[in-house]
Amino acid sequence: MSGMITVEEAEEVVALPPEQPSLPPGEWIRKNLFSSIGNGVLTVLFALLLVFAFRGLVNFAFENPERDWDAVRANLRLYMTFAYPLDQYVRVWVSLGIVLSLSGLSAGLWSPDGYVSARRISTWFLGGGAVLLAAALAVQGQLQRDENGEFLIDEDLELIRGSWASGLGSRISWFALAAILIGAGAAIWFGLGDRRRNTFVRTVNLTYAGFGVIVGSLWVVRYGHYNGSPAEGTHYADPDSLVAMSTRLPWTVMWVLLGVSYFVGKAVRGWPLLKPLALTFWGLLPFFVFWVVLRDPDIDWAHVWTTDLPMYLAFAVIGGAVLFTLTNPSLGEIGRALAFVLLLVAVFTFVGGFFGWFSMLQKARLSFVFLAAFALVANNFAGEFAKRRTFVIGWLLTLGVMHYFVTLINSASTLNIRSDSFLGGFMFTIFAAVFGLMFSFPLGVLLALARTSSLPIFRLLATTFIEVVRGIPFITVLFFFSIMLPLFLPEGMEVAEHGAVIVGLVLFSSAYLAENVRGGLQSVRRGQYEAADATGLTTAQRTGLIVLPQALRVSIPPLVGQTISSYKETSLFAIVGIFDFLRIANNVVPNQSSPINFVGHKREGLLFVSLIYWIGSYAMSKYSQKLEKKLGVGSR
Amino acid sequence: MTDAMTLHASSTAEMIVCDAVDKWYGDFQALKGVSATIAEREVVVVLGPSGSGKSTWIRCINRLEAHQGGRIVVDGVELTNDTRNIEKIRSEVGMVFQQFNLFPHLTVLDNITLAPRWVRKVPKADAEAKAMELLETVGIPEQAEKFPGQLSGGQQQRVAIARALAMEPRVMLFDEPTSALDPEMIKEVLDVMKGLARSGMTMIVVTHEMGFAREVADRIIFMESGEIVEVGTPEHFFTNPTEDRTKLFLSQIL
Repeated sequence: MSGMITVEEAEEVVALPPEQPSLPPGEWIRKNLFSSIGNGVLTVLFALLLVFAFRGLVNFAFENPERDWDAVRANLRLYMTFAYPLDQYVRVWVSLGIVLSLSGLSAGLWSPDGYVSARRISTWFLGGGAVLLAAALAVQGQLQRDENGEFLIDEDLELIRGSWASGLGSRISWFALAAILIGAGAAIWFGLGDRRRNTFVRTVNLTYAGFGVIVGSLWVVRYGHYNGSPAEGTHYADPDSLVAMSTRLPWTVMWVLLGVSYFVGKAVRGWPLLKPLALTFWGLLPFFVFWVVLRDPDIDWAHVWTTDLPMYLAFAVIGGAVLFTLTNPSLGEIGRALAFVLLLVAVFTFVGGFFGWFSMLQKARLSFVFLAAFALVANNFAGEFAKRRTFVIGWLLTLGVMHYFVTLINSASTLNIRSDSFLGGFMFTIFAAVFGLMFSFPLGVLLALARTSSLPIFRLLATTFIEVVRGIPFITVLFFFSIMLPLFLPEGMEVAEHGAVIVGLVLFSSAYLAENVRGGLQSVRRGQYEAADATGLTTAQRTGLIVLPQALRVSIPPLVGQTISSYKETSLFAIVGIFDFLRIANNVVPNQSSPINFVGHKREGLLFVSLIYWIGSYAMSKYSQKLEKKLGVGSR
Repeated sequence: MTDAMTLHASSTAEMIVCDAVDKWYGDFQALKGVSATIAEREVVVVLGPSGSGKSTWIRCINRLEAHQGGRIVVDGVELTNDTRNIEKIRSEVGMVFQQFNLFPHLTVLDNITLAPRWVRKVPKADAEAKAMELLETVGIPEQAEKFPGQLSGGQQQRVAIARALAMEPRVMLFDEPTSALDPEMIKEVLDVMKGLARSGMTMIVVTHEMGFAREVADRIIFMESGEIVEVGTPEHFFTNPTEDRTKLFLSQIL
């Protein structure tokens, strides 16, 4: 599981242009760092500054006797899933398994063609090894302890350390790992010789191998482990046992799942409809994982047979018939008129429900809204029988999915939780970010369109909303939604605080997304509108087919920037009292006194949390750069 | 020419009627009572100096600009604020722009099939077969899968013509179709337009190509300062113009 696998994979030589030859190291340093006396001085100055800035941090991370990384590793489950019940924990693994399987399948279906040259892989190994070696060598002498294991101090109350060499002994494993890394890097570098520049490995394979190395290391490396049972009071950190006995098997299963699904995806690549199907599953995935897998709803089957199913059938049959009629090409204007009537009914039932005029079921209201939306676009699907049939099938499926989820949401959760929600920790951060993006993106696009619309009422509403939201700090929005949202809801309707703050996040980021999209809209040239008009497209078709695709493409960098911000802003949830990722590091772990005393251990957690946030943000920003490059092809 | 450009049998001899059309941009009057009638199968070339209102006029004919006075009737349908009329007329009138205005995010084939599929509800396979036929007609079937950005200006303009023809329009409007092209590409576009004219398409062409006007036009309309100054056959217009302003214009460009 070391770098040697990668060398073999690197042998698959692909016809790609070789990387530009780079300068030899000595030459590069001279040219880039010491090209003049002034530059040389600056280089030295900044190098010293870096050393001083990070010396304290490195010292804290590796040497400081006050730091205790057990505070993080013993609490990993808390960090990731907070209060999710242990007896149902398999649900978390199933969720992760579904996500990874779909990822692997998608990777196989789309087969992203990214490559990394052997030369770069080799430099990663060499660099990683060098950093590790430096860290191992930078060790201070080992702290001296007395026979009771207490640290010895001198008369100035300073800790007493042994010689530098005495510290090296505890770092044997570091030296070994550094040697392996440097050895692997050198093996690739010298083994391939001149071919290292034009030998490439697929990024997919490399990522999978890297994941495999990490998973494999769980079986070998002693990271320390949390052992025993909290109920029996035998919960303790056991630094000598193999790491995460509880997670190494599940993680290995996850790794295998990812690989198998990748090959399945590759095998069925040519099949029709799979890509749109995969995208649909991605869209439904967060809802499915949240409401079905994690929440474990207790469905009342009697109610399903007597009420839910008949209602679905009624809407399916009547709605299907209406839509089939509406897609008749000779119908023309009647279709649009009927669509507006349906929309009015839908809005009326919603508003009516708000004031308690109707006791109509939520599901019926939503069905009216969905039917109205389908009726509005029906004209675009008018045509021959097959096309109309596809449209009606689309209606049946959409309606079915909607009814399914509403039924689940209305069923009580059977989970036995001690907190006010089973969501917490990093899992909540992920859900908040994903749901936030899923809802704020369409809302942002709609707001941008409304703001650039020619209808003054839309323009006014959108502009007001955007400017009001942008003028309020996010933390204020959060307090507002977590405390004051109930004032705006109809009597008897409740929204859990977790939901309320996500609504706040959606509204907040949609205002910013709208401004980004508006920038994109302004970049679409007038000629594009005229050409679309001149060919007879309706305004909706012009917007959806011509203007938005071009506007969104231009807005990718700011849109990803906004997505990253939203992901990071979820950490503000900690302030309104939600047990999110940050709050666990900042408030929960530092207050643990049993079974192990971690009181005051805040810094370890904050470093860990920062690292995880950074990895997520960096991955997104890298992906957006790739996306930009890919979409740029053929557009100019 | 293929059947893509076949004629529509119609009894209306008058395809476009403009009656005292006025158009203002703020205080500036761009069109001052423009009246003209274009017959079916007629090819009309509009000439005139820059800013004379030629482009504004033909852009009024498919309502890219709204006129404020007078009447415009296209194929028996009057242009008013009624959206249905506008959409109907736009799908009957093809337009080719100076800057091509192809959709850069779609392939050539998708550019051409988009409107037939979404406006005329033509099945995808039929629309693509028709599009390939049209690309054959304009001489670039091998470019079907490319994006507009990968084509030369002349090729882009020919795709734009094919895109307009895909809707099987009864009238084609050309707004300075060769003005943004390199000289060596002008001919390929003009050749396509000549073929179209020979096939019997009703065309209004705003251009500065005098050779094209002389060879293809049934009538030439000369405009200046938002007015129609002189109307006549090419022979009359180039050899024996009556108006002083026409003579001045011709002396400047010939």
